[in-house]
Amino acid sequence: MNFVVSSSALLNRLQLVSKVVNSKNTLPILDNFLLKLEDGVLKITASDLETTLTTDITPDVVDGEGMIAIDAKKILEILKEFPEQPLTFQVDMDSFQVEIKSEKGLFSLVGQNGEDFPQATQLKADQVNRIDLLPEILFSGITSTLFATADDELRPVMNGILVEISPDNMTFVASDAHKLVRYIRKDANAESEASFILPKKPAGILKNIVTKADNELTLEFDDKNAVFSFPGFYLVCRLVEGNYPSYNSVIPTENPNRLTVDRVELYNTLKRVSIFSNQASNLVKLGITGNQLSISAQDIDYSIAAHESLNCQYDGDEMTIGFKSLFLLEILSNIGTEEVNVEMSDPTRAGIVLPKDNENEDEDILMLLMPMMINN
Amino acid sequence: MQRSIVHMDLDSFFVSVERLQNRRLKNFPVIVGGGSDRGVVSACSYEARKFGVHSAMPIKLAKQLCPDAAYIRGDMDAYTRYSRLVTDIIAEDAPVYEKASIDEHYLDITGMDKFFGNLKWTKELRQKVIRESGLPISFGLSVNKTVSKMATNESKPNGEMQVDEKHVQSFIHPLSIQKMPMIGKKTFQVLRSMGVADIGTLSRIPPEMLMNLMGKSGLQLWNKANGIDLSPVRQYSERKSIGSEHTFDVDSMDISGMRDLLAGMVEKLAYKIRKDGWVTSVVTVKIRYANFDTHSMQRKIAYTTFDHELIRVSHDLFDTLYSRRMRIRLIGVKFSGLVRGVQQLSLFEDSSRMAELYLAMDNIRKLYGKKAIRRALSFH
Repeated sequence: MNFVVSSSALLNRLQLVSKVVNSKNTLPILDNFLLKLEDGVLKITASDLETTLTTDITPDVVDGEGMIAIDAKKILEILKEFPEQPLTFQVDMDSFQVEIKSEKGLFSLVGQNGEDFPQATQLKADQVNRIDLLPEILFSGITSTLFATADDELRPVMNGILVEISPDNMTFVASDAHKLVRYIRKDANAESEASFILPKKPAGILKNIVTKADNELTLEFDDKNAVFSFPGFYLVCRLVEGNYPSYNSVIPTENPNRLTVDRVELYNTLKRVSIFSNQASNLVKLGITGNQLSISAQDIDYSIAAHESLNCQYDGDEMTIGFKSLFLLEILSNIGTEEVNVEMSDPTRAGIVLPKDNENEDEDILMLLMPMMINN
Repeated sequence: MQRSIVHMDLDSFFVSVERLQNRRLKNFPVIVGGGSDRGVVSACSYEARKFGVHSAMPIKLAKQLCPDAAYIRGDMDAYTRYSRLVTDIIAEDAPVYEKASIDEHYLDITGMDKFFGNLKWTKELRQKVIRESGLPISFGLSVNKTVSKMATNESKPNGEMQVDEKHVQSFIHPLSIQKMPMIGKKTFQVLRSMGVADIGTLSRIPPEMLMNLMGKSGLQLWNKANGIDLSPVRQYSERKSIGSEHTFDVDSMDISGMRDLLAGMVEKLAYKIRKDGWVTSVVTVKIRYANFDTHSMQRKIAYTTFDHELIRVSHDLFDTLYSRRMRIRLIGVKFSGLVRGVQQLSLFEDSSRMAELYLAMDNIRKLYGKKAIRRALSFH
């Protein structure tokens, strides 16, 4: 098989796909990209057995068909060094010898038999759930929730994003047991109710590639795998198995204490004050009286303390509540509105952070943070 | 630069505190320790020492040696209170001090000679401690911690001793190697079997040979024998662990009772770390069988202060540890990996209600004492 392709176009595609390749693989063939030439289209695949991503590119000149596995690191390194130019790939399908002809030179390497590359899993046709959605929904859903996922070997379900589809809406949920994010989109509807848990790695990759999609993308899944596809990209990933904890039951409904505050001002204040918090616990205290929100932190070991107040609108009882500043900062930086509403019940129960006056009416974002136990 | 280091040590501290509280114990052999026949002597008065009693000796043996002494169970709270009082008095005057144990302090008074006179200043401080706390105290003044400590030990009880730089060697070399800090029973036996009796002989052994014998600590030993000790006086030493142990009156096989006792111990410790603003990440459980075989096991956990989590982990560890059908003599539990902080509450374990419960219980304890409220299973 032979083909001629633009060096920068090929590099661009390979870089997107390369995020799937693990730095260390138990199966040596997974260090490779699979190149498959068929019907005048070159398909490029990378896999770590859990996630398999395929993209395609149309070469300028095509001769023959076939497939070959090429060392991913080598091909990426060499492509990065070429200025934009057409490259001619000549592959000997018997010896797997690959020759790359550039304007001025010849680079030759030996590939491996493409037949040895593991095949992506097929979904079970009788169990498939399907939904078509706008790329922006998937992008926002993942971006808003990914930061809240856990790193917990003992509870693998918490390391992924729960995705629920229903005739009314689509919901993304992530939590590490300290913070929780629920992102609902009313403009995505499925025929029936179903859910799956998307692992972190494919979620991160999807976040990058969905920006390349122009039109709707298709999501299909059964109980073991999910497929995300749109023109030019095809991603199959194994899902996290297990039951996600019932997240709705931990969202407090009675929250009589309501605070409205400027998001950026709160963020900046927290950033300053938290420098003086204890570096192990990162505890900051939020004290609210009248329309004053005071933020304080201290580190007894170094005899340092900080305090700052800002104006807010508050409706509720005077209270002091402690949060881990890192978590609160993460939450505030993942909300886009000018102001946020914070709803609380008491110092040992979760505080809920909501965007105020969200322009996107189809969007419903709820972020929740458990406090730290402070003894006043 | 030559340093001036003071070591101050309260004389038979526990006994002195008991005597402050009960004047009749004066000039009478007093032994503090245990509370039962199975414990060990934690302190004894100089009168009792004449009978051959020394600390860490089993109470039973002490009773044979000195049956008429006053045996006192000991009141750790009072000792801690007096110890803090002494620390406060020292802290008021000393530029840098280190609390080395409940009854020992090191002071670094380098450079004060010109203005106050080191010996005069230290004598005055000693008199001040005696006057304000009522407790006898001794001190040693020399060029480093090791020599100062040895000077204190030589001057006790109720003594003072200064060893200046040029007399360091002539002071320590004639002493028995037993008098040197760092030499315990084992090292003493090893060195004695080599024919080393005094520190002077030890100082003449090539350091390489000591290193072969004891590894790195051999070199430290050699240095100390030559009067060299560069360790600084550290004002602040961070608390690394907190623990508690219980020796049974009679070796026990009551496993469920022990689990309850363990829960009670954990509960007390957990309250203490919450009160002092710590969180723990390592739990260690220790058991000692009737034949003195001691086993311990530890587990790393996420930072916590919650009784129920810590009790669960300690029970787990205890169940794994107790593997032989033999009576148990002692159980203990320890929290380490302590850092300053407060508990981060969790979403899915109903931690809000538990947090409220512990806050309420802690408030009761603060008002009415730490025994005011306990888990029912720890009542025995």
